[in-house]
Amino acid sequence: MITDLVLAIFCIVFVPVLGGFISGIDRIITARFQSRVGPPLLQPFYDVIKLFGKEKVVVNVWQAFCAYCYIAAASISIVMFFFKSDLLLILFVQAVGAIFLVVGALSSTSPFSQVGAHRELLQILSYEPLLVLVVVGMYLEVDSFKIWKIYEWNEPLILKLPFLFIVLGYALTIKLRKSPFDLSTSHHAHQELVKGVLTDYSGPFLGLIEIAHWYETVLVLGLCSLFWATNWIGGFILVAITYILEIIIDNVSARMTWRWMLGYVWAMGITLSVVNMVWLSLV
Amino acid sequence: MKELLVFILIVSPFMFAVLCSIIKSDKIRSFVVLAMGIILSVSSLLLITKVPFSFSPKSVFTIKVNHIIEVSDFLLLFLMLFFAFKYKSILIRIFVIFQMVFVSYFDFFLKQNHSDYPTIYCDHLSLIMVLIISIIGSLICFQAVPYMKEHEHHLNIHPAISKQRGFFFVMVLFLGAMNGLALSNDMMFFYFFFEVTTICSFLLIGHDQTEVAIKNSIRALWMNSLGGCAFIVAIVWIYSQIGTLDIQEIIRTYGNAKYYVLPLALICLAGFTKSAQFPFQSWLLGAMVAPTPVSALLHSSTMVKVGVYIVLRFSPVFKGIFLSQCVALCGAFAFLAGAALAVGQSNGKKVLAYSTISNLGLILACAGINTPAAHTAAILLIIFHAVTKALLFMCVGTIEQHIASRDIEDMRGLYAEMPITALITVMGVITMIMPPFGLLLGKWMAMEAAARNLLVILMVSLGSALTVMYWARWAGTLMSDPFAGKFKLESQPILTWIPLLSLCSLASVLSFLAPLVYTKMIVPDLNSNFIPFDIHRGIFENSYGQFPVVPLCLIAILGFGVAVWAVKSAASSRIVPPYLSGAQTAEPGTFTGPMNQLVKSEARNYYLSRIFGEKRLTTCINLAAGVWLILMVGGTL
Amino acid sequence: MIGIKKFISKMRTKSPWLLHFDCGSCNGCDIEVLACLTPVYDVERFGIINVGNPMHADILLVTGTVNHRNKVVLINLFNQMPDPKIVVAIGACGLSGGIFRDAYNVVGGVDKVIPVDVYVPGCPAKPEAIIDGVVAGLSKL
Repeated sequence: MITDLVLAIFCIVFVPVLGGFISGIDRIITARFQSRVGPPLLQPFYDVIKLFGKEKVVVNVWQAFCAYCYIAAASISIVMFFFKSDLLLILFVQAVGAIFLVVGALSSTSPFSQVGAHRELLQILSYEPLLVLVVVGMYLEVDSFKIWKIYEWNEPLILKLPFLFIVLGYALTIKLRKSPFDLSTSHHAHQELVKGVLTDYSGPFLGLIEIAHWYETVLVLGLCSLFWATNWIGGFILVAITYILEIIIDNVSARMTWRWMLGYVWAMGITLSVVNMVWLSLV
Repeated sequence: MKELLVFILIVSPFMFAVLCSIIKSDKIRSFVVLAMGIILSVSSLLLITKVPFSFSPKSVFTIKVNHIIEVSDFLLLFLMLFFAFKYKSILIRIFVIFQMVFVSYFDFFLKQNHSDYPTIYCDHLSLIMVLIISIIGSLICFQAVPYMKEHEHHLNIHPAISKQRGFFFVMVLFLGAMNGLALSNDMMFFYFFFEVTTICSFLLIGHDQTEVAIKNSIRALWMNSLGGCAFIVAIVWIYSQIGTLDIQEIIRTYGNAKYYVLPLALICLAGFTKSAQFPFQSWLLGAMVAPTPVSALLHSSTMVKVGVYIVLRFSPVFKGIFLSQCVALCGAFAFLAGAALAVGQSNGKKVLAYSTISNLGLILACAGINTPAAHTAAILLIIFHAVTKALLFMCVGTIEQHIASRDIEDMRGLYAEMPITALITVMGVITMIMPPFGLLLGKWMAMEAAARNLLVILMVSLGSALTVMYWARWAGTLMSDPFAGKFKLESQPILTWIPLLSLCSLASVLSFLAPLVYTKMIVPDLNSNFIPFDIHRGIFENSYGQFPVVPLCLIAILGFGVAVWAVKSAASSRIVPPYLSGAQTAEPGTFTGPMNQLVKSEARNYYLSRIFGEKRLTTCINLAAGVWLILMVGGTL
Repeated sequence: MIGIKKFISKMRTKSPWLLHFDCGSCNGCDIEVLACLTPVYDVERFGIINVGNPMHADILLVTGTVNHRNKVVLINLFNQMPDPKIVVAIGACGLSGGIFRDAYNVVGGVDKVIPVDVYVPGCPAKPEAIIDGVVAGLSKL
């Protein structure tokens, strides 16, 4: 019981630090791609700490409610991940956070927030089934939704589920808010919707959302690492390569419309999943 | 004792219904409805200690039960025929005469004096249905009292020509019929109550007697009569093969390869029409013209559950054969299609209707998957869907009477006007889509049970994402307004608050108690040695999955507390207008336009009608579903 | 407590987020502001981001003259920014109204409407000067 509690607190504290570093590295690498020097590695932490020191300004108190619910759901989902719990349930808990982010944005009457919120919903609509299919694919291979069963499996899942890994890549790109799928809001200062879904969140609440996003980043990268769960070096290399690829894709592609996103992601995602699952059932 | 309870549950509503139709005073009638509700709820709760039981009532008021049913069957069919001629509907005429022929053939030629078998049978599945009908149904009847008063006031109907007596007669009678349906173990009893619910639904949809209401009620009648036809054919066929009407006996013996499967497919077809599965969804959508308590009672929480109930009842018989696969696929398809159509709707009641179809589809899919885990999922979904959907319908009804619209766009910023109702509605939405609440528990079980079935899981995962979309959008819209200090709480009649608040708390408390519901109500019914889930410390666990209900509930309560504290503390922060490119004015939601005129900034929800529009999708979906159904019925030959 | 406050105020200087508002400029100064974001100057080195949203911004950069029509917008944006915040007026027009100061529709410099913390002169102001102005303003945060 005590060890469980320590583990829970450890990952609630440690995961955002990891997420912040990942975000810092991301910003530096992106800057180098654009032949800039880029911010210091600790920049994401500076930003968030500064946000917590700002005056509390809200459009509607529901934003505060939603921001807290978002971070709560995100942290619970990551704790469940570290407890090696049920993957499908983790996805549902993670979705709670995403929904509250949208509801909070919808509680402002600003058209920028509203449109951003709807785009965020469309993003959820695009990636949610894909994540479920990935998890189902894992179940078909290891015969369980529990993560510890995946860790006990004796060969890397990617050998059996290569296409599902690509499907996860689509979900990852949307979840990390990378081009071409950064419709609702993006990390860069070039959003046509001001700041989309985040427009009316400010100060400490924006800081909470930023931290919640770090939790989610670690969660989806954790999902990636499950594809090479036999040893941690393999998992680390897989995640690192995937993330670098994400950054490259982010930098070489333009933002697309939601119509394209929904059609393309569903078509590719479903086709690849079905092919992989059928193949899995045949061999 | 149990005979008395069953008598109260089935027969007393018929008596109360007659009382309702006689009493002219509104106040006394309300009192009768209240008394009936309390009596029904208490008796249904007392029934918990008695299950399982079965017996055969010989007579009611010294008349033989069998004779009552036989005579009433014909009366009912003649009543339908009367309506068929009154409204000049050829389809109803055909279906009713068809049923008459079969019923008379059965009663006069086929039926023999057979040995004794229990005509009343109550296991945990029936008990769950009875509890839903008696408790939720009564709550809806309570809410109907102030609702109908306001409704007639709104339509400028003079109290002297009030049609409330007829309305409550049918509503109360319906509760008795539903209880009878859930408890009967005789196919002919079942068929009789099935037809009673059909006619109740017809009368209530047409209650307002507007042109649309009449048209939609006729459609409901012919579609449900089609279901009745399928059912009576199935009865006659099964009887001619194994010579019994005992449902339990049929379930025990029929699953044998030497019998035809077609009657089972017909029973499923009857269930599909009753549950408004595609392509029969149009009657349920049309039913939304009825006063909202009707939609809440018949068309979301109880009557449409009859369809899934019979399929679930008979599912052990078709385990492992092609029909089971078909039911699973049809259900999953309805789940996806219903969700897709709901996304394209801005009419709140239609969203609820499509969402009902969609959820019933998921329950049918579970019945079709036909494993103990899937059955558990189906029963959990039935329970929680009934509670939450009844709550949401009542909320929409209350909102509609207040703002005179059922469009989601008109509910923008409702929190400022009706804070409590808006909060209850949001709570309803949350219990609909979020863990750790019961519906999501059911969906989780369904998905894990369906994971081996590629097509089913594909459709369920897509449908699930679409479901999230239309609910989240609605919840956000209700809260969408600049928050300025304290609001005045709205006032409503006490009979509106009681059902709303009790259903809201029921939805959340019952989720917390889900492990208890599972061990006490579902496990005893699975009648197999294989228990799908182990429960320890409030965690559902089996070899491939784990859902910590109680721990998650505790965390959710904690998180909710923190979030409420956050709202309290945020209320002290500076409130600024939303970002409008700096052009906002002192008037909320406006900006300075050309010529210094105030322009209202407007943003509407995305309904994606070019993709998920009703016009665009309905034909394709009906076609696809029709082909599925033909495959299902034809494939059993 | 004082330690935390000091720590947070240090973080503020490391992460200044900008809102750039063109208050009727000829676009000369605007181009120079945007030039700061290019790889040549790369202000993101200092954690500076152009957020384009008053709700997120710490520093308001204003270019151009204030006139009767857009002074409301300027005030609105300023009010929507959460404290602590600073205002940097850029270019001759932002400082005083520049050559337009006598026009019938012009109110004058930015400080006629909202309190200005840093004045960056120039017509247009050089990117180095703008960055310098922002850095000078940071000490006030």
